[in-house]
Amino acid sequence: MSNHTCRLEQALLLVLLAFFSAAVLAHGVDDSTRSFLQQNSGVQFVPFLYIGAKHMLTGYDHLLFLVGVIFFLYKSRDVLLYVTMFTLGHSITLLWGVLGNIQVNAHLIDAIIGLSVVYKGFDNLGGFKRLLGYQPNTRLMVLLFGLFHGFGLATKLQEFQLPEEGLLTNLLAFNIGVELGQFAALAFILIAINFWRRLPSYERFATLTNTLLMSAGFMLMGYQLTGFAVL
Amino acid sequence: MDHSVNLSTLIKASVAATIVAVIALLTLILPAEYNIDPTGIGQRLGLTVLAQSAEASPVDPESVPESTESQQVLEITVPANKGIEYKLQMEQYDKVTYEWMTDGSSLYFDLHGEPEGDTTGYFESYAIATLDTMKGSFTAPFNGSHGWYWKNTSNNPVAIQLILNGQFQIIGIKP
Repeated sequence: MSNHTCRLEQALLLVLLAFFSAAVLAHGVDDSTRSFLQQNSGVQFVPFLYIGAKHMLTGYDHLLFLVGVIFFLYKSRDVLLYVTMFTLGHSITLLWGVLGNIQVNAHLIDAIIGLSVVYKGFDNLGGFKRLLGYQPNTRLMVLLFGLFHGFGLATKLQEFQLPEEGLLTNLLAFNIGVELGQFAALAFILIAINFWRRLPSYERFATLTNTLLMSAGFMLMGYQLTGFAVL
Repeated sequence: MDHSVNLSTLIKASVAATIVAVIALLTLILPAEYNIDPTGIGQRLGLTVLAQSAEASPVDPESVPESTESQQVLEITVPANKGIEYKLQMEQYDKVTYEWMTDGSSLYFDLHGEPEGDTTGYFESYAIATLDTMKGSFTAPFNGSHGWYWKNTSNNPVAIQLILNGQFQIIGIKP
C-alpha cells in the first residue's frame, strides 16, 4: 500500500514538473515573432525558417508525441521510418491548410494533438492489443496523427493574414524550419533515451513514463477543449 | 514494441493518467490559463493572477493600437480625372482637428466615416462640398476608418496639404 502511494506521489511530482516546464515554454507565437509576422511582406526565407524551427523546438505537444513514437523504437532504421511518416503527414496538411485556406479551429486541432499523445502512451502500453485484440497499424496511425499536427502548425500561421506575396516560399521556409527543429529536438531526445535505455530503470519505468505521457495528453486535451468552450 | 502490460496494469495506468490530468487541470492549468477555478486552489496558489493579468493587459496585438494625440502634416496628390480616398483609423469618440488646402483648384470632397467590420458599404458623411480649402474638426461616432474622398475633375493633378491634430492612426490612401 505504502509502495503504491509512493509511486503515485512520484508520478504526481513528475507531472507537475512537466507542467511547469511546459508553461514556461508557452506554446504559441511570442510577441516579437508576432509583430514580425504582422509587418512582414514579401519573401523572408530565413526568418520563416527560424520561426518554424523555433516553433517545433518549443512545441511540447509535438515533442511529447515524438517521444511516444520513438520510445520503443530501438533500430535507427525504424526511427527514421516513423519520423518520416510523421514528417510526411504534417507537411501535407501544413501546406494544404495554409495554401487552401482551410479554416479549422485551433483549439479543436490542438485537442486532437493532445489525443495523439494519449493514443501513443496507451499504444506503448500495448493497450490496443489488449483491448481490441489486435494492433492497429502503427505506421499508418503516426501518418494520420501527423496530418492533424500539420493542421495545428497551419492554424498557427493562419492567425496572421500573411500577405499573398511570397506566401509559398515563406511557407516552404517555415516547413523546412519545422523539420530542422524536429531534427534538432529528436537528436536531444534520442541521446537522452539511448542513454537511459542502458539503465535497468528504463524498462522498469516504461509503464510509468507512458502513463505520464497519457496524462500529459489528457491535460493538453482538457486545456484546449476548455479553451474551445470559453473563448 | 513488445512492451505489453497486463489488463489490470493497463486499467490502473489509464485511470491514474486521467485522474492526474483532471487534478492538474482543475487546480493548476484552468485557473492559470482561463481564470476558471472550481476548487479555489488556483486562487490560493496565486495562479489566477496569470489569467487575470492577461485579460486586463491591452497588449493584444491583434487589436488596433490605442490612438494617441499627434500632429501630422501631409502632402497628398490627387491624379488628374481621378478620385482618391484618404482615411484615418479612429476609435469611437476620438477627435481630430483638420485643415487642408489645395494648390489652387477646387475639389469635390466627401468627409465621411465607415464603421469597422462593416461589409454592407454603409458610410456616414460629415461634410460634402467643392472647395479649395477647409478647416474644421469632427469626433468619430463609431470605431472605424474616417477621412476624405477627393475627386479631381481637372486634367492636371492637384496637390493637397493636410494638417491633422488629434487622436488617430493613419491608414492612408485607400484603393
